[in-house]
Amino acid sequence: MSDVTRVILKRESRSSRAVISVVAAILVALLALYGLLEAMLRVLGQPPWLIDPLTAAQRLAQLPEGILPAMPVAIGLLIFIVGLVFLANAVIPGRRARHVIPDPRVAVVVDDVVVASALAKRARLAAGVTREQVVVVVSAKSVQVNVRPTSGILLDEALIQAAVEDELTAMALQPAPAVKVHLANSGVIGV
Amino acid sequence: MNSTPRGANRFLLALLGLVFMAVGAGLVAVAAIPAAARWWQDFAGPLVGDLSDFTARTHLTPDTGSWAWLVVAVALLLVVIVMVTWIANQGKGRTDVLFTTSGSQDDDGAAGRVVLSSAVAEQALKRALLERSDLLSVSVTSYDFRGQSCLRVRVLPRQGVAPHLVAAEVGATVEAMDALVGVQAPVLLSIGSGARSRFTKAERVR
Repeated sequence: MSDVTRVILKRESRSSRAVISVVAAILVALLALYGLLEAMLRVLGQPPWLIDPLTAAQRLAQLPEGILPAMPVAIGLLIFIVGLVFLANAVIPGRRARHVIPDPRVAVVVDDVVVASALAKRARLAAGVTREQVVVVVSAKSVQVNVRPTSGILLDEALIQAAVEDELTAMALQPAPAVKVHLANSGVIGV
Repeated sequence: MNSTPRGANRFLLALLGLVFMAVGAGLVAVAAIPAAARWWQDFAGPLVGDLSDFTARTHLTPDTGSWAWLVVAVALLLVVIVMVTWIANQGKGRTDVLFTTSGSQDDDGAAGRVVLSSAVAEQALKRALLERSDLLSVSVTSYDFRGQSCLRVRVLPRQGVAPHLVAAEVGATVEAMDALVGVQAPVLLSIGSGARSRFTKAERVR
C-alpha cells in the first residue's frame, strides 16, 4: 500500500469537521460584520443602527447593572454551550462508521450500514427467516446479530454465528469486528 | 481526499470554542458572583473611560467619529476576510487533469505536451460500473491530492450486496482502466448507502 493510499484511508475514516467549521465561520463573520457596520457608521458620523459602539462598551463595563440579572446568566450559558460544542468537535476524534477492506490496487472504505445489510442477508439465509426478523448492528469492533425466530421453529445459534463469521472473514474488514448472535426469546407468527 | 484543511479546522474550532467558553463563563460569573461583578466594574470602567476620552480627542473632522473606530473597522474586516477564506477552503481540490507529460526530442522525436483529462477515467469507470445491476448509483470525481491526481469512486449498492465482492470487481475494473489509460492514479472506492438503496428491494436473483 502506498503512502498516498494510507493517508487517503486515514482521512476517509475520520470526519473532516467541514460543516461545523462553516457554521462557526459564518457565526463569527456575522458578528464581525455587525461590529464593522456600527464602527463605520460611527466613523462617518451617522446615527447608529442598533447601538453606538462606545455606548455598548460602557454598558458592558457596567454589567451586571442596567439589565435583568437573569439575562447575562442565560446569554452567558448559551455562549458557553456554543463554545463547548466547538471545542468538543475540535478535540473528539470523530471516527466515521466505516471499515477498510484491503485491496492491492484500490483503497476501499465501506460504510457500516452496507456491511450490516450484507451480514443480515447472510444471517437471514442461514436462519431461514424473513428480512424483518433480522437486525444487525455493526460498530467498529463488534457485530451484533439479533434474530427473532418464527414461532415454533427452532433456530441453531451456532449455525447463524458460523455463517456470519464466514461472511466477515471473506470481507476481511479492518479493524476486524467480533460477532455476537442473539436469538430473541419470543417468536413471531404470521410471517 | 479533498484538500479540506483538517488540522486548521480543528485548531480554529478549538480556539473559537475556548474564546466562546471564556466569554460565556465570564458573563455568568459577573452576573452571579458579586465579587466578580465588582472586580469587572473596577477593571473595565477606567478602560472604557480612557477609550471615551481617546475617541473624543481624535475626531477626524468635527462632524465625524474618531479614527480609532476606523482601526476597529479594519480589524473586523480582517476577521471577516479570514472567516471567508476559511469557508472557501472547505472541500477544495477538484481537478480536471488526470495526467500530463511533455514529450522530448530523445523520447520519440516529437516535442509537445500530452494532457489527459480526468473525464476520460471518470466516464470510463462510470460507464463500466453503471452496467452492473447491483449498484444503484455510481459517481466518480477526481481530486488533486498532495500533487497527485486521485479518483474517488462512490458506489451505492443494493441492500444485502456483499461489499468485498463489489470491492474486488471494482478493483478489476480499475485495473482494466489502468491498462486502457496507461496511468495508475490512486483510486479510492467508497461503498455507501443512500436513501435509494434503503428503499429499493434487495436483489434476489443475479
